[in-house]
Amino acid sequence: MSIRECALKSAAFSRLKDVYDNREQEIKKARAAGTKVIAELGCDVPDELLLAGGLMPVRVYADPDKELVQTNKYLEFSFDPIVRAQFEKIVDGTYKELVDALVVSNSTDVIIRIYLYLREMHRVEPEKPIPEVEFIDWLFTRNLLYQQRNEFLIGLFQETVERWAGRKISDEEIREAARVCNADKAALRKIGELRHGSEVHINGSEALVIIGSAFFMDRKEHTKLVEEVAKEAASWPVINAPRVFFTGSNQESTDLYDKIEASGVVIVGDDHDWGDRFYDRDFNLEYTTRRAIVDCYMLREFSSKKAYTSQRVEALNREVAATAADGVIFYMNEYEEAASWDYPPQKKSLESQGKKTLCLAKMKWPMSKNDDFGDKLSAFADTMKGGA
Amino acid sequence: MAEEAKRPESQSGAVKRLKATATASAYQKEWFQKTKERVEAGEPFGYLNADVPMEVLRAMDIPFVVNQWWAAICGAKRMTKKYFGLLRDAGYRDDLCSYCATAFAESLDPDDRKLDEEGKPMGPWGGLPDPTIAITRLTCDCQGKIFEQFAKNHGSALYTMENTVARKVPLKWFDKVIWNDWEEFYDKDRIDEAVEELQQMIRFLEQETGKMFDMNSLEKVMNLINEQELYYNKTRDLIASCHPVPVTVVDTINAVMQAQWQRGTEWGRDHAKSLYEEVKALADAGVAAVPNEKYRLMWLGRGIWHDFSFYQSFEEKYGAVFMWSMYLAMGADAYIRYHVEEDPLRALAARYIGMEDFLHMPPWNSQWYLQQIEQNDIDGVVYMIPGNCMQAVEGSYFIKKAIEDAGVPVLIFEADPVDPRKWSAENMRGFVNEFIETKVIPNKENKK
Repeated sequence: MSIRECALKSAAFSRLKDVYDNREQEIKKARAAGTKVIAELGCDVPDELLLAGGLMPVRVYADPDKELVQTNKYLEFSFDPIVRAQFEKIVDGTYKELVDALVVSNSTDVIIRIYLYLREMHRVEPEKPIPEVEFIDWLFTRNLLYQQRNEFLIGLFQETVERWAGRKISDEEIREAARVCNADKAALRKIGELRHGSEVHINGSEALVIIGSAFFMDRKEHTKLVEEVAKEAASWPVINAPRVFFTGSNQESTDLYDKIEASGVVIVGDDHDWGDRFYDRDFNLEYTTRRAIVDCYMLREFSSKKAYTSQRVEALNREVAATAADGVIFYMNEYEEAASWDYPPQKKSLESQGKKTLCLAKMKWPMSKNDDFGDKLSAFADTMKGGA
Repeated sequence: MAEEAKRPESQSGAVKRLKATATASAYQKEWFQKTKERVEAGEPFGYLNADVPMEVLRAMDIPFVVNQWWAAICGAKRMTKKYFGLLRDAGYRDDLCSYCATAFAESLDPDDRKLDEEGKPMGPWGGLPDPTIAITRLTCDCQGKIFEQFAKNHGSALYTMENTVARKVPLKWFDKVIWNDWEEFYDKDRIDEAVEELQQMIRFLEQETGKMFDMNSLEKVMNLINEQELYYNKTRDLIASCHPVPVTVVDTINAVMQAQWQRGTEWGRDHAKSLYEEVKALADAGVAAVPNEKYRLMWLGRGIWHDFSFYQSFEEKYGAVFMWSMYLAMGADAYIRYHVEEDPLRALAARYIGMEDFLHMPPWNSQWYLQQIEQNDIDGVVYMIPGNCMQAVEGSYFIKKAIEDAGVPVLIFEADPVDPRKWSAENMRGFVNEFIETKVIPNKENKK
C-alpha cells in the first residue's frame, strides 16, 4: 500500500504531493517574487518568527542520489547518514543558490556539530558557497533556568530575523504568524484523526505527504489544502489493516512507509520530525511572544534526541495509546544512536501492555542500501494479524 | 650524554618510569577503598561525568568517582568484553558509547561486588559502590539516557546540566591571558547561565546529602587547583624544552589523569609538584626516555587504556617518541582561573563551560594543537577518533588541515579507548610504522 488512487484523485492532495515531490518549485517562485527564503536544519526553528518577518521557511532535506564528495571530506564517518546527505547540499552550493540564509537548531547533537563545522568553514574557507548560518542554541531540559535562557536566545534570533527582514518585527506580527501556524496545525490534527481514529482513512505514506509539504510551500495555502483533504478523506475507503506506530529516524520520503505498509499494516502515527511531531503543540496566544515560542518548541512531545529514556518510554506509551496502535516498529538509521538507548526499556514497557514490536536498527540510508528486510516486515505483519 | 632510566614494566606491557605514576595509581586504589568504606558507613557518594564541575563536590567533601576514569580502570582490568556482553544480553547494543556506557554496563553485572572462588574481587577493585547521586552534562544526545539508566540501576538520584555553545570564537584562548581575563573569552550570558546552573546544582547536593555548601571551601579548592595546574604547566613547558624528552605519554598520562580527578586537594597539588620535580630531576640529569630520540610524536584523542604499550612500540625501531597528549597539556593550559577570590562560582563557571570548547570545537582545538606542535617541536601527529562517540567528533578535518598546512604530517585512525574487541595491535602498529616511514621521516628530512 502506498499512495492510493482515492488520494491521487483529490485535487488538493495532488497539489500537496506536487509540492512534496518538487520541493524547490515554490521556493523558486517565492524568490522570484522577492520573498527571502530561509532554510532550516533541525526541527526547532520557530517558523512563527520567520513568517512574521515576511520570510519563507523551508526544511533542508537530503538527496539520496547525490554523491557525498564534500561530506566525505569534512565529516567524520559517525554522522548519521541523512545529516551527511543534507550537509552535502549545504556545502556544495545547492542551498547557496536556493536560499538567503540557513538556520540551524540544536535539535540533535549531530546538528550542533554541523553548525560548528559550517562556522569554521566560513572562517577558514570563505570561498565555499555556503549560505549565512545562524544557530539557535535551545536547551531542552525542562526547568525554569533553561526556559528563561531560551527566551533570551529567541530574542537574539529575533534580532537576526529582523536584520534579514530589513525591519523590526512587532509582537502583533508574530501573533498573526502564530495564528497561521496554529491554523495549519489544527488542520493537520484533523488529518491525524482520520489517520488514527476508530476508522483509518489515511495511511502513513499519505500522511507524510500531507505533513511534509508544509515545509516547502506557503503556509496559508498549505492549511487550505489540508482542510480540503481532511473533508475529502473522511469518505476515502477505510483501511482495515493492523495498526502500527512508527518510531525512529526521520522519514523525508515515503519510501520506507510504502514498504512497511505493503507488508499489510498501516502506520497510524509516528514520532519523528517529518511526521506527527510537527503539529504537536500550538503557539499559546495568551503568552508573551517569546514565552509562547519557547513554550511551543521546548515543550513539544519528547524527541528521541533530547530526552531521558524514562521520558521517551512514557512518550511512546502515550503516543501508542493515542493512536490505538497494536504494534510498534522501531527504525533507527546507522549512526543515529540515541534512540538505541531508549529501545530496550521501551520494548519492555510496550510488550507488558501486549503490544507487538519490531526493531530495525543500524539501518543504512537510503533504505535501498539495506539487504532486503521485507521478510522481517512480513513476519511482523503476520504476527500483527494474529499469525505465528 | 643522555642515559636511559630504569624502566619497570607494568601489567599492560607498557614500561613506566616515574614514581609519580606509581604513586598516583597506588593513591587512587587506596583512596577508592577508603571511599568505599565511607560509603558503607553511610556517607553520600557521587558518580560524575568528567565534564561536571566536580569542584563543588570537593568543596562539600562529597567523595566522587569520575566516569571516564572508572571506564579506564575497567578497560585496564580487561572487563569491557564481559560488560558489553551483559549489555547485549539485556537487549542493548554492545557497540555504542563504550567510554560512557562502561559503568552502566557494569551496573548490570550481578557479580560486581562478589569474590571469586579464590577470594578475589570479581569487579574492578571490588566493584563500584552504589552512588547516592549521579551527575552528568548533556554534551551529547546519549549522555542523559545512559546516566539515567545507570542511576536507576544503582538507586542514585540523577542530576543533569546543560551544555551551551559558544558564540565568541577567540582564536588564541591558550594565551596565558585567559587565566586572568577569562571574562573576555566567553559570552557573558553563557557564564551568567553557568553560575546559575552551579547554584542549582549546589541546592540539589545540599538537599540530597544534607551537607551545606561553603563558598570559602570552594575558594580554597579553586586555589589549590590553580597551584596544581600551574605545576602541570611547568611540567609541560619543561618537557617541551627537552631534546630528548625525559618522559613520554606513558609516564605522564596516568600520572596526570589520576591526579586530575583529585584536583582541589592538597594531595593533588603536592602530587603535581612531585611530578614536576621528578621530571625536572630527570631533565637536569640529562636522562632520556628514548636515548635515540629522533621523532617527536603528538597523540591526539583519548588514551588507549587497554594497550598502553602501543605508545612505546616505535621507540626502539625509529626513535619515535610519543611525548605529547592532551592529558598533561589540558592541565597546563585549560584549568587555571585567577581572581577566584572575587567570585569563586564565576571562576568555576568560566572553567567548566570551556571544556567542550577546548576539546571539541574548532578553531579552539585546532589552534591550540598548532601552538602545542610548535612549542613541543612535534614531527608527526597520530590522531585517534573513536568510532562510536559523537561527543568526540571535533572537526578532524579542520584539525588535520591546520596541522598539515603548518607542515606537520597527520595520521588519523579509528579505535576505541576502552574496548579491546575493536583493537588490532598488529594493524594499529602497522599503520603507525607506515606513517613514520612514509610521512614523518621524509618530512623531517626535507626540512633539513
